[in-house]
Amino acid sequence: MATLVIMPRQGQSVESCVITEWKKKKGDAVAEGDVLFSYETDKSSFDEPATVSGTLLEVFAEDGDDVPCLEAVCIIGNPGEDISALIPKKEEEAAPAAEEKAVEEVKEEKKEEVVVATESADKDGMMKISPRAKNLANKTYADLSQATPTGPNGRIIERDVNRLLDNGQRLTPEQYENFLKTGVAPAAAVTEAPAAAAAVAAPVAEYEDVKLSNVRKVIAKSMHESLSSMAQLTLNASFDATQMMAYRASLKKNAEAMGLGNITFNDMVLFAVAKTLKNHKDCNAHFLGDKMRFFNNVNLGIAVDTERGLLVPTVFNADKMSLNELSANAKTVIKAAQGGSISPDLLSGGTFTVTNLGAMGVESFTPVINPPQTCILGVCNITRRVKQVNGQDVFYDAMGLSLTFDHRALDGAPAARFLKELCTNLENFNLLMAK
Amino acid sequence: MPKSQYVDPKKVFEPGFISFKDIPVCQYKKTLAEEKKIYTKDDMMRIYHDMRVIREFETMLNEVKTKSAYNGVEYNNPGPAHLSIGQEASAVGEAYALDMNDFSFGSHRSHGEIIAKSLSSIHKLDEKEVYDIMKEFLGGTLLSIVEKHMPTSDIKELAKNFILYGALAEIFARTTGFNKGLGGSMHAFFIPFGLMPNNAIVGGSGPIALGAALYKRANHKPGIVIANSGDGALGRGPVLESFNFASMDQITKLWGMDGKYPDGGLPILFNVFNNSYGMGGQTRGETMGYDMAARLGAGFNPDMMHAERVNGYDPFAVIDAVSRKKELLLAGKGPALLDVVTYRVSGHSPSDSSTYRTQEEIDAWIAADPIAAYKAKMIKGKVATEAEFAAIDEDIINRMTTIMKLAINDEISPRMDLTKNPEAISSIMFSNQKVKSMDPTREAEMLVPKEECPRVKEIKGKIRTATDEKGKPVSKMKMYNIRDGLAEPIIDKFYDDPTLIAYGEDNRDWGGAFGVYKKMTEAIPYHRFFNAPISESAIVGSAVGYAMCGGRAIVELMYADFMGCAGDEIFNQMAKWQSMSAGILKMPIVLRVSVGSKYGAQHSQDWTALAAHIPGLKVVFPSTPADAKGLMTAALEGTDPVVFFESQRIYDKGEEFLAGGVPEGTYEIKMGDPDVKKEGKDITILTIGAVLYRALEAAKTLEEKYGISAEVIDTRSIVPFDYTKVIESVKKTGKIVIVGDAVERGSIMKDMAANISELAFDYLDAPAIALGSRNWITPAHELETAFFPYPDTIIDCIHEKIMPIPGYVAKHNFSDVEKIERYKKGV
Repeated sequence: MATLVIMPRQGQSVESCVITEWKKKKGDAVAEGDVLFSYETDKSSFDEPATVSGTLLEVFAEDGDDVPCLEAVCIIGNPGEDISALIPKKEEEAAPAAEEKAVEEVKEEKKEEVVVATESADKDGMMKISPRAKNLANKTYADLSQATPTGPNGRIIERDVNRLLDNGQRLTPEQYENFLKTGVAPAAAVTEAPAAAAAVAAPVAEYEDVKLSNVRKVIAKSMHESLSSMAQLTLNASFDATQMMAYRASLKKNAEAMGLGNITFNDMVLFAVAKTLKNHKDCNAHFLGDKMRFFNNVNLGIAVDTERGLLVPTVFNADKMSLNELSANAKTVIKAAQGGSISPDLLSGGTFTVTNLGAMGVESFTPVINPPQTCILGVCNITRRVKQVNGQDVFYDAMGLSLTFDHRALDGAPAARFLKELCTNLENFNLLMAK
Repeated sequence: MPKSQYVDPKKVFEPGFISFKDIPVCQYKKTLAEEKKIYTKDDMMRIYHDMRVIREFETMLNEVKTKSAYNGVEYNNPGPAHLSIGQEASAVGEAYALDMNDFSFGSHRSHGEIIAKSLSSIHKLDEKEVYDIMKEFLGGTLLSIVEKHMPTSDIKELAKNFILYGALAEIFARTTGFNKGLGGSMHAFFIPFGLMPNNAIVGGSGPIALGAALYKRANHKPGIVIANSGDGALGRGPVLESFNFASMDQITKLWGMDGKYPDGGLPILFNVFNNSYGMGGQTRGETMGYDMAARLGAGFNPDMMHAERVNGYDPFAVIDAVSRKKELLLAGKGPALLDVVTYRVSGHSPSDSSTYRTQEEIDAWIAADPIAAYKAKMIKGKVATEAEFAAIDEDIINRMTTIMKLAINDEISPRMDLTKNPEAISSIMFSNQKVKSMDPTREAEMLVPKEECPRVKEIKGKIRTATDEKGKPVSKMKMYNIRDGLAEPIIDKFYDDPTLIAYGEDNRDWGGAFGVYKKMTEAIPYHRFFNAPISESAIVGSAVGYAMCGGRAIVELMYADFMGCAGDEIFNQMAKWQSMSAGILKMPIVLRVSVGSKYGAQHSQDWTALAAHIPGLKVVFPSTPADAKGLMTAALEGTDPVVFFESQRIYDKGEEFLAGGVPEGTYEIKMGDPDVKKEGKDITILTIGAVLYRALEAAKTLEEKYGISAEVIDTRSIVPFDYTKVIESVKKTGKIVIVGDAVERGSIMKDMAANISELAFDYLDAPAIALGSRNWITPAHELETAFFPYPDTIIDCIHEKIMPIPGYVAKHNFSDVEKIERYKKGV
């Protein structure tokens, strides 16, 4: 009967051995004790002697082959003998390969997750504060932004929070939460907003909980951030809209003939804003904490009331456009915003925003800045007012404007100067068109 | 240094010669005809049978290792298998001459010894004794398995299956093995047959067997102790230390001197299975210079350890030699040394390619195979026929096949299920028992009643507080100090537990290098309290052997720095045997180590971290007299190995914390319970050892100068350690610095800082800071303030790392930049 020779296992850690040299070749006669082949592990080398006499009928590995331990190396027997049963069967490889692939896929997925996690953890602006000090502040809403760190390496420690409390430097819970959100962990707390809203609604006998849409969440976050992180105040002014109204009336008459679109009061305000901003770079800017970014162009954000909520599409390079171009562009983006088809690219990039509640009869309001912009202009309704001209009471149509600005970025006087020039330009719309 | 022995300069310089007797080399010459008069046919066939069982057992292991199958049964054994094929006659010959009262210790290559001594024991015991042993062992689990699956009415046959199954299941890491699979091939043992633990550290059994012999000698127990090793082990210091320790003059010259408890030398036979190789290094001719191992005996005592070289391929020669040595040992003439020449045909392990020897050499030894030669001799001498031998062979092969099937059956022989029972190993790391006396049947042997012990009298007259009623410091001579705190429970235990022995360097007349044992010599007989040679390995290793046999020992290394000299004995032996035996062994040892100062780099180190790093050791470090007393009481009452750190800086300290002073009478301090030594609210200082007093000074300065109230907690214990109190304190203060005298890197302070940060993170006002010594050698005493933490170092560290103190100017640099630089440089 033929004998299968296997690769011996020389020690438990050895998984395979390399055949260094065959001393016999297929067909050779072999006597018991004859060395069949030499092989080596990573540690040492060995000779494999034949344990039976016969003929080397089959050889499964060559010099230099790395053979797994306990696998067949050769067969010794009598010539002509049936050795088919001893010949090792090649295993199907398809199944394990598929399995491997599946494993790989899983790995890839995992990798992605890790990347995401790294990104969110890798935020800048880390506040140095000991866990204990932070816990105390969490309980007391101490105004950490006012803390003087006295711990090693500028770390806020417990005594620093205690000092804030002694000085009465506290925030409201909402302000505090917002400080944490914007200063340390912006994303996480947002999803808690609906819960807070529900809590407010609770005393009402009947109510309906409606989950916030994503647009609402974004608005909520952005508005809240805006109000809590900026130093906003609003200036109110009005101008004599007589000339502007006359101009619009003439446009309406001649629009078709001159190939002009339907130009609204709002378009005219937009136009005036775009032109006026060129002289007031503080108002056409972004406030970025430690720096201001002044823009060469005016990208006008237009607040649009849509079914989904407030959207602010942008008309880029508004300062370069004629009134008619600006009007057409504004219509296009407003329509896109209302239709829900607006490209996200058009919902950012604004350098100044105009919001108009005039049609709803609002006489004056405090629009909320769209950060990091420094200003927002609210357009109010037209009211009839009286002014004295040459000692006579004269009625005229006045349009109100409410300019909210970020006092961190600019002071009251420059803001007022902008508003004043804007009013002047609007009052003298014909002259503006000539500029 | 007993005063009774006068070192006379005249005698010391007298001229003369040292003479040696001949050491017999293979002098056994009996013929078969003579042997037939000593041994019956049964005896002779039994010798063959036992050798053949060992051979088959190891052949099976070899097949499993190299071919993953034996006799058609497939199995994969990832564990070790150091085989002794060729050495069977030596093992069987030795075991033939021994009985259950003789304890044998072995090496990583001891399957043969286990089987031989078990088979010999089964033969010598009556059926009931054998059955009772099996029934009691591990609650009868093993017995029920062999009874069920290999039923036989013959108790002795059942017992054979029992030991073969128990050994194999142990080798295959099954819970049904002798040690629930936690010992494995190199550590299997079975105490009921006098088979003591085998050791995977070459020569590891030398000092352990010495301790077993001390146990027999100090407790007047019958039987002898065998320390089996290979010839390679003769290069190991602990083995040579043990030769000397066992030979020391005091055992025969001084131990009986008190007149009450005369006995002879230690009953220990160092038996070398000399197979010419230490793994691959050839001992004779390459790695040793002794030519023949038996020569070593000549160096150790005038009796030359009764050394002899024997033909280990002839079982009768071995039986003859071991029997004669045993007789000498029982007559009090030990120790003895045997050089049993044998040969390992198998490789060191299955991966051994025998690169260090020729095939010719192996073939020659195969041709001289002891089993084949024995069989041929028996057939030629007409003791038995070929067929009779063939029947034995067949029975053994069948038995081995069945046992292997049983041992690899996962249902019958399961492995420990650490998924279902994840804490199974945790539960055996310590025995956690409280045992007042390890042998309550006996009275403790003492020279005087306790009240007459001079030290007891002295302590009685001492004031147990550091200051008197008026707040004035008590004079050092009158004050109860840490030494007394240690001595009191030790003296008590000497009177309570007859097995307690204490030894170390300079323990007896000197009273220990630092006077802890002062004035105890007059009360304790020599065999319970003696000066050891400067042999740290043998001191600790023998304590391990002493405890394994059922005794309690308290041993001392003069300086903690000397732990390195006893590294294996502390870290591999003392720490591990309770768990490696699956809880069968207890290890009631207190190892006293003293942390020095003023004595430079090799005499001033706090190595608590080394001891704590090794699982299985309890580690304590008290720093007040009351804590020293309470923790020593707990350590001595327990059954676990305790490394007991003391500090030479504070041996003189009196009790400064307990208002009533150190309590009289017995009390224990629970190991692991830290103690608040001073309450505070602003910062916690956790201390390890003597630094407590420097921390208290720092706390005083913080309070008086800077209005910062520090809470000072003394860890007292390191393993085990209960963090509860510390966490409570951190919740209060929000700040913690952990201070110790050990070098900072890898210290216990670092370990605790990491744990506290983890456990109290949300309460921390600054990271938990570890403050140790610089990562340097200990400089001279005059420079120590730059090295060890002192009060100003502690305050500097607090100022720079935890809470800058207004108006404070630091002297030491604890900045992050400096830290990174130092670590970059490795200092």
